[in-house]
Amino acid sequence: MDDSEHPEKTGESVPDASWPENGDQWSDKGEEEEDECGLLQEMAEEDEEIDLYNEETFGLDEATNGDNPAADPMDLLLLCSDNSPTPQSSPPPPHSSHSASRPGSRVWPHTPTGWSQRGRAGRGQLFDDPAVVKTVEGRPSLKSLDSAIVDCSLSSYWEDLNSNTWMIAPQKSSRPPAASILQDQAIVGVIDRSRHGRVPPVSPNFLSPMRPFSTSRGRRGPPFVGSFNQRCHYQAQKNPMVPCSPFRPQRLFSPQQQYNQPGGFLSPSRPPLSTPMPHTPKLMHLQFGTDSPRPAPFYSPSTNIMQGFRAPGPVAQFHPQHKRLLSQRQQRPHRKPVSWDPYSQIMTDKEKEWIIRLQMIQLQSKNPHLDDYYYQEYYQRIEAKLAEEEILGDRLKKEPPKLTTPYVTKALSYIPVVHIEGSLGQVAVSTCFSPRRAIDAVHANTSDEEHKDSRRQRLEVLSTIEKLYIVLLEVEEANKMKATVSDKDEERRLMQNIKRKVDQLYNELRCTNLLDSGEEFISCLLISKGKSMLARLLPFLSHDASLHILSVVTKNLPVLMSKDTDEALPVLYPSLRAVIDRLAFSQLIRNLKEFTATLPDSKDTRLTLACQNKFGLSLLYALLSQGERLLSSDLPMEPSIGDFETWTDTVFHVARQLSQTTLVEPLLLPSNLLTLFCRYLDKRTVHQLKNNMESATGYLAVAS
Amino acid sequence: MNYMPGTASLIEDIDKKHLVLLRDGRTLIGILRSIDQFANLVLHQTVERIHVGKKFGDIPRGIFVVRGENVVLLGEVDLDKECDQVLQRVSIEEILEEQRTEQQAKQESERLKLQAVKERGLSIPKADTLDDF
Repeated sequence: MDDSEHPEKTGESVPDASWPENGDQWSDKGEEEEDECGLLQEMAEEDEEIDLYNEETFGLDEATNGDNPAADPMDLLLLCSDNSPTPQSSPPPPHSSHSASRPGSRVWPHTPTGWSQRGRAGRGQLFDDPAVVKTVEGRPSLKSLDSAIVDCSLSSYWEDLNSNTWMIAPQKSSRPPAASILQDQAIVGVIDRSRHGRVPPVSPNFLSPMRPFSTSRGRRGPPFVGSFNQRCHYQAQKNPMVPCSPFRPQRLFSPQQQYNQPGGFLSPSRPPLSTPMPHTPKLMHLQFGTDSPRPAPFYSPSTNIMQGFRAPGPVAQFHPQHKRLLSQRQQRPHRKPVSWDPYSQIMTDKEKEWIIRLQMIQLQSKNPHLDDYYYQEYYQRIEAKLAEEEILGDRLKKEPPKLTTPYVTKALSYIPVVHIEGSLGQVAVSTCFSPRRAIDAVHANTSDEEHKDSRRQRLEVLSTIEKLYIVLLEVEEANKMKATVSDKDEERRLMQNIKRKVDQLYNELRCTNLLDSGEEFISCLLISKGKSMLARLLPFLSHDASLHILSVVTKNLPVLMSKDTDEALPVLYPSLRAVIDRLAFSQLIRNLKEFTATLPDSKDTRLTLACQNKFGLSLLYALLSQGERLLSSDLPMEPSIGDFETWTDTVFHVARQLSQTTLVEPLLLPSNLLTLFCRYLDKRTVHQLKNNMESATGYLAVAS
Repeated sequence: MNYMPGTASLIEDIDKKHLVLLRDGRTLIGILRSIDQFANLVLHQTVERIHVGKKFGDIPRGIFVVRGENVVLLGEVDLDKECDQVLQRVSIEEILEEQRTEQQAKQESERLKLQAVKERGLSIPKADTLDDF
């Protein structure tokens, strides 16, 4: 029997998570009850079930006889366990199971005192005695409590009820056989399905097994309908349900929803119940039949789940727009019944809300811009577009529908690994984020061998790069946020943050050494990911740092070009171009000198090699173009000694080379190159150059 | 009313006729009655539609409960467009027969292919070690 409780428990934990907004509210009130939870709670739940079933069977006595039913279902079972055949003389109403476990939670007209004492003891005995447990085994406890299996419990319920009826009846000689009663009560009313709609879903913390009722019951057993009609009478009065316990609001809410069919939320529109109802509150929701009086909603509509959200706990704060959204939904009028489709209300509004809520919880995040980047970007762009339209004259301020999810303000930290001192290994702590941490896989750092496998080295560098990518993303995001944030302190803080991270990136990347090469940055430049990472990092670097990288690239151009199998070098071009455009003349000259200097291990120059490589050529062009720009502009250049000579030498050299070798198509052909060449070279050479360059590019190089 | 703008949700699809393609290749057409957070579906008045060439046949199936992970895709059926069908509806027996012949033809071609490949000394991994679709 315990097993049947556990699914219920776990089932409860899920919807509890789905109402986090409510959790705070509930825990405040239900604390005293919570203390008694655990076994007692389970027992109470079991009691309810049993009570209910017995109510069904024997409770009708109340209707017929008008006196208090000895119909205390607990009595029956206590009888079984205690072997005491005498029924309790003054049995309190059978709702005592609730009250026993939650003394403060309800106000019962007949507060059972003797019962509670007896109840507790009895309950203990009841559950200790396996024999007693077995008698109720036939009840569909698990099925009725499992929210996923709603209809199953319905069908099985009746069979069980019947069987239990027959089972229990012989034991109680004082009671008339239940079946005959039920049949005598006969059919009070035919359930009008379209009017009553569907039963609410069994929400997992709804403990009463009677919950999964549907109007389809009517199809099954009309005789039973009658009994429930009776029940509800008793139920209603007995139930000034104050939702104090954590679970109560849920439970009470769902059954009530039946009354608000079709399709609406809890509506206080029902006429209050006038007839006195002496019995089980549990049966309140059993009301069926069109002409039976409906119990008044004993709890105000404000226990509406939606309104429950109004008091967010520390876990989730609601975005004001979200609050608005929720309150709007609340005020939404009842959907009118879709009369043409009799099955249209199979999924009630509450169920829909539940799913939506669940999905929204999954969208909760502390940093939506990080977690849900694409949607946030998309929404920002749409908003920007709309704002633009608005400015342009489209007065209609239509706000695009936005998915507002509750954003979590407090970070719930959990300890994924719990280590008890002195123990071997870890304690298994599973959460929804880390369901199973069986092993603690630690990356074993291999010793620094002299001859490391180059591939392994490469992998190490790759892993470093990948780890640094996260830092880079943070930098980019902080940069983006910096533009939007208005607070000066925040901005300053962000900038410091950015700077710190950029420095970290720079230092780490420069240290990566592949094949013990003395050059910094080379190892990461040899890897495509490293190239793209540097390209993204360059805009954030200081001028000196970016210069350094540019010189590294230029110096090692042959190596880079030869090892660039993926042709990923061009990704560096835009960022490097931006750096070059900021170069001063002398710095430019220094870089250019590299091109014409002969390489140590071959007689080629970087120049000759660059002609064959897109990136190299583009880099060269960019440098030349910058030089030309600097020269032709009016800004003072502050050249160092020998700069101009170097410059002219380089230009000649380059021109000669370019005109002789076949060129590849560069990434970008700057427009002022030919102007530059015209200045220094004779017409013929220029013409030759021009042809050469054009043949490579396929489009005309603009000439003055 | 769009409950969750910007997201994909099946809530608005409730009580509408849908076509559901399952991972095992079956095509179901039914009225979507209920969903849950795993996109498990409850289809009402479901019909399994078998397509062979330009013909199709419907097998009435009643109520279907489909586990979410087995759904490849689903989409709402436009009731207006459904009327003008290019395909020809045939009886169930006929479509099953057509399906059988199609299956046989496919198996035959597979067999021939396998044989040809074997003759050339190559080997193809067995289908049962791969995923169905």
